Amino acid sequence: MDDWLIAIIKVVCIWVWVLLIAVVMTWVERRGAALIQDRPGPNRAGPWGLFQPLADGIKLFTKEEIIPTKAQKLLYIMGPLLFSVPAFSAYAVVPFGDKIILGGKEIILQVSDVNIGFLFILAIGSMAVYGVILGGWGSNNKYSILGGLRSTAQMVSYEVPLGLALLAIVFVYGTFSLRDISLAQQGTFLGFLPNWGIFKQPLGFILFIVAAYAEANRVPFDLPEAESEIVSGYHTEYGSMRLGLYLFGEYVNLVTISGVIVALYFGSWHMPYIDLGAYLGPISWGIVSFCIFFLKVSFFLWMFVWVRWTLPRFRYDQVMGLGWRGLIPLGLFNIFITALFIQLTV
Amino acid sequence: MNQNPTSQTSYEPGNYVTINIGPSHPSMHGTLRIAAVTDGETIVKADPEIGYLHRGVEKLGENLTYHQFIPITDRLNYCSAIPNNVSYEMAVEKLMGIEVPEKAQLIRVIMMELARIADHQVCIGILGVDLGAFTPFFYLIIQREEIYEIFEWFNGARLTNTFGRIGGVDADLPDDFEQRWEELKPGVRKANDETEKLLTHNRIWMDRTIGISAFSAEDALNWGFTGPCLRACGVKRDLRIDEPCCMYDKFKFEVPVGKNGDVFDRYIVRMIEMEESLKIIDQAYKLYKEMPPDAPLMARVPKVIKPPAGEVYSALESPNGELGFFVKSDGSANPYRIRIRPPCYMMFQALPELAEGEMVADLIACISSLNIIAGELDR
Amino acid sequence: MAKPVVKKEYTLSERIYLWEILKGMKLTWGHFWFNFKACWRPGPHTIPTCWQYPEDRTREISPVFRGEHMLQKDDKGRETCIACGMCAKICPAKCITIKKGKRKEGEEDKYAAKTYPAAFEVDLLRCIFCGFCEDACPKNAIVLGQNFELARYTKEECILDKRKLLMNYRKAKEEGKLKPPRKRVPVVPAPPKPEKDEKADEGAEAKKGKPAVAGKAKKKPAEKAESNEKEE
Repeated sequence: MDDWLIAIIKVVCIWVWVLLIAVVMTWVERRGAALIQDRPGPNRAGPWGLFQPLADGIKLFTKEEIIPTKAQKLLYIMGPLLFSVPAFSAYAVVPFGDKIILGGKEIILQVSDVNIGFLFILAIGSMAVYGVILGGWGSNNKYSILGGLRSTAQMVSYEVPLGLALLAIVFVYGTFSLRDISLAQQGTFLGFLPNWGIFKQPLGFILFIVAAYAEANRVPFDLPEAESEIVSGYHTEYGSMRLGLYLFGEYVNLVTISGVIVALYFGSWHMPYIDLGAYLGPISWGIVSFCIFFLKVSFFLWMFVWVRWTLPRFRYDQVMGLGWRGLIPLGLFNIFITALFIQLTV
Repeated sequence: MNQNPTSQTSYEPGNYVTINIGPSHPSMHGTLRIAAVTDGETIVKADPEIGYLHRGVEKLGENLTYHQFIPITDRLNYCSAIPNNVSYEMAVEKLMGIEVPEKAQLIRVIMMELARIADHQVCIGILGVDLGAFTPFFYLIIQREEIYEIFEWFNGARLTNTFGRIGGVDADLPDDFEQRWEELKPGVRKANDETEKLLTHNRIWMDRTIGISAFSAEDALNWGFTGPCLRACGVKRDLRIDEPCCMYDKFKFEVPVGKNGDVFDRYIVRMIEMEESLKIIDQAYKLYKEMPPDAPLMARVPKVIKPPAGEVYSALESPNGELGFFVKSDGSANPYRIRIRPPCYMMFQALPELAEGEMVADLIACISSLNIIAGELDR
Repeated sequence: MAKPVVKKEYTLSERIYLWEILKGMKLTWGHFWFNFKACWRPGPHTIPTCWQYPEDRTREISPVFRGEHMLQKDDKGRETCIACGMCAKICPAKCITIKKGKRKEGEEDKYAAKTYPAAFEVDLLRCIFCGFCEDACPKNAIVLGQNFELARYTKEECILDKRKLLMNYRKAKEEGKLKPPRKRVPVVPAPPKPEKDEKADEGAEAKKGKPAVAGKAKKKPAEKAESNEKEE
């Protein structure tokens, strides 16, 4: 079998899979929010309201596309595209399982194992800010531009702590490749702790998850679309599927971020204390590792929902303050400690 | 463009952006409009505009008889209709010199305090929603539904109660009131407790509320603040204690007082007031039970309500603050003039001062914490 | 105007964000888990705080609820309304129109009194459901029932004529949702002795007006009657 054919199959499969998760996530978000808030949530479309995302999709597709008269057409149209394309492509370097052996050929469950791993994610993630700011600017609406501005400042600021947290991970594992990091998380250290990133980098994990929430514009950092203040921020003027792309891209981002968190800090496809790969055949291990990985991912996806419906929202300057005065010094401190530790132990 | 953003005296239109917040904006309570001149996110000038919900309630009163105006007062502060009704009835009773029977007064107290709890629950819930915390709103609003249930079983309406008549009340407490009340009490406490847990000590919430739109006691008095917003500034003024009506002087309760007059203090004052209201209802219901079951609920009111010519101002402590009714009679069956003093009208006036120098997000918090109800504001 | 400067004093657990956030998340998880379990209960009314309204109509409505109007009949199936017009006069929204009719020979089994409403219209679009009409009614004829589903397709449907009002009564009777007779409890306090002449006055006035039931209910008719005379 040709390598490129395998690559294409992997791309298509994982793309469909991520989209599927994102679709289900819209349902989980609303249902989860409802249950947290003592109400049933959407339960009319299909069993338990499971077809609700489908209904929403149909609604968004069939709605009239309106471009505001005073909008800057090119930017207005480009906004959602620039937001969603990076979101869809960032998952390329995140693994979704160990490996599977089909027809004597070893296939790693990752679209491409590039050795710059999460540098790619960081780079692609920064692209998303263009979508937001172009959407905000192109709409020619004051609320939109406020949302765009907030989002720009926030995303740019929080990339620094995100990068610092990742840097500490590189110190620990000595590689940028997400697959290599995943592989290195097998087994235990100090005799009882699983060899996971969270136990080696507890502070780094907190930094990463906070910065990731900010990057994904989720509560408590959902200022760009804070609907009680600036209506709905950068996508105030958007309708039909353009709005759909924004909303959808957000959920795809969540999947990517959860995948990265699991791959870096939660032992990817490894179970703690037990190496299932040793007991299972190559094909079944491939499937099981995929399942384990996505069980962990779904936990973090649920975390996003859970946190969202628990916390109030920050204020713009407080977000900046937390980022620059809180997280970045902590990130530097974390790097220092990590470096010191590695220097002393090696 | 190198303007110093803090020098708010230099107002140059070219450097600032005017944002229209309202009349239809997700966080405007009712239909208000605030034209906010902003420098980035900082508000240089906030210009409130009212009148979008003006229905001519006061003029309407001149064409209705004294009784017919009661349902109209429901529509003032639609979050707590009962204190509106009672306040108006008290004004007419004062004009006519009617002494309301004690049992009726107790029922009024019980119902008014229930309405106060409901109003505070909405206010705090909406404050949470405006600051991005959705969940406490639902916990509180579920308990409000329970309170509305009591209202419904009392005289058949949940929101626009049309509670009471001039000279008394229109119905006795339902037979199962005690059971419902005993069920409601832990529910309200639990919801308040959960709200406290989710918000009060959460640093995000504290950052968003402490020090936001703080107001000194002096300024608050000068602007005519009343109610929880004034008490949050540190002024211990509560008409229930200072000018007791409806037997309020017979109950023991604390009047919570804040310190800074910021959003956080208003929130805390309201939280404590709910607890105190529960205590008042307990005491009032105990007194109520001691009354004979056939004790009168209506005073002797003439067939036609024709107050003697004259004018009267009567106010009571509504959940929002001092709710006053000025009624002038020329001796006929219709009031000559009715004027309503809504508490949030005075507070909304001070918005430019409250919001100046804050950020757009704080403006929203400020409005929510003042509990502006457009129906009452515009009348 | 100088704004008071507020100093923040945070405890350590407040300062580090995470502790309180975790506490909050524990609380929301408790709610989630409770409702998640409740979801699996059979029936439409799963989550205790929510009624799945069109399917689930088990929520009890107060017997004194002020919903759609109806005209009551007495035990013998005769219309009790005497077309006195009290309800129309007390109505703050002026939504009731009554045309008076005189009972003819042989109609005794149809109408309870000598007069009856030849036409009785309630404009639901104007009505504010204050319940004053049932308060004012001396015969307990007009009553606000338990039906709260008042949406209609046309404006004409929103105007309840006499046929619809009587139909509402029949429906409520079939469903056993008749309104219990309104407790006229609010007793007028026993008049102190010097007020005796006033009471006599009252009696005279009551005679002048329509015959009324005890309590405050009789006040309003009389009041309205008198004010009406004044206008004339």
